[in-house]
Amino acid sequence: MTHTSLLSDLIDLISAFQADDSTGYDEKKIRDRNIGRALRDLEKNPPAQVRGWLAGVKIPGFTRIGQNGAQLYHVLCLILVVAGLATGWGLARAVLHYDGTQPINVVNALGLLVLPQLLLLLLWLLASMPVKIPLFSSLQSALRLLNPGKLARHLARLFPSRTRQSLSTLWGTEQAAALTPVTRWLFSFWSQLFAFGFNIGVLAAAFYLISFSDLAFAWSTTLRLDSDTFHRFLFGFSWPWHTFAPEAVPSLELVQNSRYFRFDEGSLGSNSPITETPARLGEWWPFLIAAVTCYGLLPRLATLVVSWFRLRHHLRQALVQLPGSVELLARMNSLLVSTSALEPEAVFTPTSGPDIAKEITLRAGLKCAVIDWSDATGSEPEVETQLRETGIEAVRFYSAGGAQTTAADAEIIASLCDAHPEAVALLVKSWEPPLLEFLDFLHALRQRCGKKIPLIVLLGGADDGVSPRDHEIWRVTLRRLRDPKLQIEPLPGIAKP
Amino acid sequence: MTTPRFAIVGHPNKGKSSIVATLARDESVAISPIPGTTTEDRVYPMRVDGETLYELVDTPGFQRARAALEWMQNQEGTSAERADITRRFVDEHRDDPRFAAECSLLEPILDGAGILYVVDGSRPFGEEYEAEMEILRWTGQPSMALINLIRESDHTAEWINALGQYFRIVRVFDALTADFDRCIQLLLAFGQLREAWRQPLEKAVEILREEQAQRREQSAHVIAETVARMITYSKRRALVREAPTKKEKDALKKAYRKKLAGMEQSCRKRVERIYSYRGMERHEPLFDLLDENLFAEETWKLFGLTQQQLIATGTMGGAAAGGVIDLAVGGSSLLLGAGLGALVGGASAWLTADRIADIKILGLPLGGKELRVGPMRNINFPYVALGRALLHQRLIEDRTHAQRDPLELRDHSTAMQELEGAQRKGLEETFNRLRKQEAAPHQLVDDLAEEVEEIMSQQDGNF
Repeated sequence: MTHTSLLSDLIDLISAFQADDSTGYDEKKIRDRNIGRALRDLEKNPPAQVRGWLAGVKIPGFTRIGQNGAQLYHVLCLILVVAGLATGWGLARAVLHYDGTQPINVVNALGLLVLPQLLLLLLWLLASMPVKIPLFSSLQSALRLLNPGKLARHLARLFPSRTRQSLSTLWGTEQAAALTPVTRWLFSFWSQLFAFGFNIGVLAAAFYLISFSDLAFAWSTTLRLDSDTFHRFLFGFSWPWHTFAPEAVPSLELVQNSRYFRFDEGSLGSNSPITETPARLGEWWPFLIAAVTCYGLLPRLATLVVSWFRLRHHLRQALVQLPGSVELLARMNSLLVSTSALEPEAVFTPTSGPDIAKEITLRAGLKCAVIDWSDATGSEPEVETQLRETGIEAVRFYSAGGAQTTAADAEIIASLCDAHPEAVALLVKSWEPPLLEFLDFLHALRQRCGKKIPLIVLLGGADDGVSPRDHEIWRVTLRRLRDPKLQIEPLPGIAKP
Repeated sequence: MTTPRFAIVGHPNKGKSSIVATLARDESVAISPIPGTTTEDRVYPMRVDGETLYELVDTPGFQRARAALEWMQNQEGTSAERADITRRFVDEHRDDPRFAAECSLLEPILDGAGILYVVDGSRPFGEEYEAEMEILRWTGQPSMALINLIRESDHTAEWINALGQYFRIVRVFDALTADFDRCIQLLLAFGQLREAWRQPLEKAVEILREEQAQRREQSAHVIAETVARMITYSKRRALVREAPTKKEKDALKKAYRKKLAGMEQSCRKRVERIYSYRGMERHEPLFDLLDENLFAEETWKLFGLTQQQLIATGTMGGAAAGGVIDLAVGGSSLLLGAGLGALVGGASAWLTADRIADIKILGLPLGGKELRVGPMRNINFPYVALGRALLHQRLIEDRTHAQRDPLELRDHSTAMQELEGAQRKGLEETFNRLRKQEAAPHQLVDDLAEEVEEIMSQQDGNF
């Protein structure tokens, strides 16, 4: 698994999560669990699971742009290496410029080719610390921001928008905060690539000049520094390679012989004219090459490798730490539990009809036959009083529904209608919904008593009277009968004891 | 092994569908006061990776129970033949619209489903129920009665006496307020109806408990992720002029507020989806801890460095340059070079910072002025955001799918009042680390999620 493919997958994952926003939660659960079950072998390797999911998932509107991002990443790597090579080559050509008049000052060469690199290395170490160091936190943040690898981000602007956008997903989206470790090491990797190229460029230019021209080195300083002290410093400086490349450690004799004074057309410390020891002055080159290799190239190689590994590590981690990944893994690895219905419920539409009659008004002395449906009321005299207060004079009481048989109900209808009452009042429990058997009863009553007789359904309340909700249920249900002589009235005074 | 199946039967409008919605955690169940809303059987299987552990069947309510029972009683047969007579009733009336409801509800029972007979314990018992219960007794299937309390009145004792005549097990179960544990207890009680059903129901309960724990864990993570984002979120806008106008400030503040509200709403939706709620309506006050201190004007420089960072870099650079001189003189300068270099470097950076902002390379400015709103510095903000999220999660976790009224999110303070000293201290440390971004974002979110889950567990008994 290369870090390029990880990078490509990470970009695709961000894009997939964005496209997946519009997918329903249940749909996601089923889809991801199915993929998770197919990838059961990878359960202990979450990044591999996420990558497996990415390879198998199909999301409408999801375009895989990761490959574009990976290509751009490669191109930027190449540009940075070439830029580093060119910079190194150019700087080395300038520093090692020798036209035969003045020898190249070794101190200058060290100061320009090695010392800044050591300083930059120190800064890189400071910026790469996993924790912020007290008093240096501002500097650490600044160094992270100053990372020259970030220039690659600006370079990306030179590319077509589709290609550019693929890679800029890493720093230009809402996920950017979560991807900070990735981008930090990506920029670090790019800057180390540049620095590595720079050192190769320096060495290439040095070898080129050494091979195809004659160079004369010397050392020069105004300070009161004798050759012995300078030699001791150089010996210490050359410590890393003095055992396996002793020829790259300048000898005391070379140091003494190559001290250079520019006074009066220039002379060497040995008091012999510069032109007398041209070959000896070239002997500094192994030292210079070793210094650049040891303090420039090798540390950069090490930081490059560290950056590469850290980038790879964080790319893997980002796959499972991206917002949405935790939920994805949970969906993939948790049992798919479903308790809801498989099919959508049939839509229920109450049959509509004309509204319940309103023109029948209860008037004083309306002589009614009263039917107590399913034992809806209390004692007869009490009910009689209540009915009288509402204008109904009960001529006779009947009981129907409840524990009675349907045959008994039919007999009651026959007997009641034969008495030809002015109207029929039916006392019902408002809290019990009107069942079809009650509607059957009303229908039979209407059939037997004729169309003109008013039927008044009186809703008896429970402990808390007749609720508007119950009243509405009765009203809506009785509308189905389309009976213009049917009326509903609440009787809050009549409550079930 | 046959899959346990339970038919929820009863009088219309007594909460059958509410009980199904609660047990099946399905808000799509139609619950309506109009009788006859459930027109046909609807099956709610509990499936785990495709394997069905049990099924609930929501059925239409009895409509002509007396007539149906009379038909059965008129058939000649012994007590032992009652189940066959019931079956015959269904066979003969399957296409009869008069008995559509009775056939629909009896069919699953005659196919082996256990009976869960639902009544409303807040209303008095009536004789009209006896025909229904008698029919169910005729089926010979194991049965249980559930007393659902739809309203405030309580006629439970009366019902227990009546139901005890027909059912071996009678339980009170409020479909609207039953929490997870009550649902689990009820499922386990279903297992008492038939020995063969006990084991699959115990397995179902174990899985549901695991799922509940996962739901809580996921919710804690979503909440932690949101709170972390809200704490660290800031919105910036480049300024054209030196000083921001009121209009610019208001626009930025509005955008900032909108973004925070959006984050909270998104968190709510994610938590609701975890608990299988899709389109929930909520009533909640907007929270507003925004104040004028939110605003800061900053000059950003090369690569987005702030003035402070630029000075630090200048100081370091100057010190390094001075250090070279110290090195050259063999340390005889007593590090004066490094000290002076640091001073000069820092001062130069401070003095030239503003000018750097005006420089343009390839048309791109190296710096500029910007107005920033956030991140929220109010120390109460994370607690308020977390308290609101915890209250919402708690209400969602305790809510049943039978409840159809909007979710009321009013007093969020209780969620954070019960915090122990150590917990509060732990939270404060995590919030501080988030503000300072002292660790990787995911690490901080994970830490906060752990603390959030702990608070959720602690508050289990407090609500």
